[in-house]
Amino acid sequence: MKLGYTIIYVTDVPRTVAFYETAFGLKPRFIHESNLYGEMETGDTVLAFAGNEVAEMNGLAIVPNDPKGPAAGWEICFVTQAVEAAYDRAVSAGCTAVSAPSQKPWGQMVSYVRDLDGCLVEIASPIDGSS
Amino acid sequence: MWSFAAQTAGSAVVLPDGRCDIILRSQSNDVIPIITGPATRPYRVTFQRGDQWVGIRLRPEHGALLWQLKLQNAPDAVLRGQDAIAHMPGLSALKTPEVAAKRLSALLSWEQTSQVNPRLRQAVDVMHTSGGRLGINALAAHIGCSTRHLNRMFRGHIGLDAKTYAQIVQFHRALKLITGGQLAMTAAAAECGYADQAHMTRAFRRFGGFTPSTIPPDLSVPGLFQN
Repeated sequence: MKLGYTIIYVTDVPRTVAFYETAFGLKPRFIHESNLYGEMETGDTVLAFAGNEVAEMNGLAIVPNDPKGPAAGWEICFVTQAVEAAYDRAVSAGCTAVSAPSQKPWGQMVSYVRDLDGCLVEIASPIDGSS
Repeated sequence: MWSFAAQTAGSAVVLPDGRCDIILRSQSNDVIPIITGPATRPYRVTFQRGDQWVGIRLRPEHGALLWQLKLQNAPDAVLRGQDAIAHMPGLSALKTPEVAAKRLSALLSWEQTSQVNPRLRQAVDVMHTSGGRLGINALAAHIGCSTRHLNRMFRGHIGLDAKTYAQIVQFHRALKLITGGQLAMTAAAAECGYADQAHMTRAFRRFGGFTPSTIPPDLSVPGLFQN
């Protein structure tokens, strides 16, 4: 078994896909014609978005992400050598700033923003030179 | 929009989904118009071979479009024949299922484009997304209004209070997990937010008229979110 997908339930799939393209520089891979599911080009582990209504279709019950309330208890993390530039780009594209880039005692640069739906996104430098 | 033609005589249990219907029932050359209020209780329909129905199920927040000032008394109400025509005179023109289907589909496209109250619509969507498990206070905070205002919107447009509507959504999800997902009773009760299995059983009795272990096979389960 391997981690295949991270799927985030959102209000508007095409809008979120476009937002992730602008804010984080990801390329869209696919949007289903129903506009209820979309994937980004993120390699072997796919970052995908599903419409909130898909939860009910699948018999799930979720707490919808809410930009006005506290974030859900999990995050996605993008890794880049240029943390400050990525952070500035995300905020100017409409992300809410949570924590500006700062250096951790172990040398890593770390910052946090929240996306359109209020989901936590970390932007950090690689550890030990890995990317 | 939905339709049904009975292949054999029989009966079916129709489960409540908090929504109103406009229905034309054809029965041996008679066409009977029926208007239903937002349902909170199950009802049994009996039919003969060859009976046909064509109907539209309105989005929940459009109940007031149909019932207007009478919405407060509409829950579980059913107007048949002349009563339905007195309430909605246009129904008398629908003499055949074909004409009815055409007129109802025109009505439906009008309904789908009429935005009664975007905030209420959002509240209804969130209730479905969260399986009715989000508390009414949390739901009000999520859509940015007071609990009182949320309840006023539910009563004024749907005809039910927010909690009742949430309980109906919760019931349907539990039913779906038990029948479709083959989830064990205790697991379904926990996943659907019931305090325990007895709590879930009370909800099943109230909205379905049966217990979780005696779900009848002839249920007509409304597609809660399909138009």
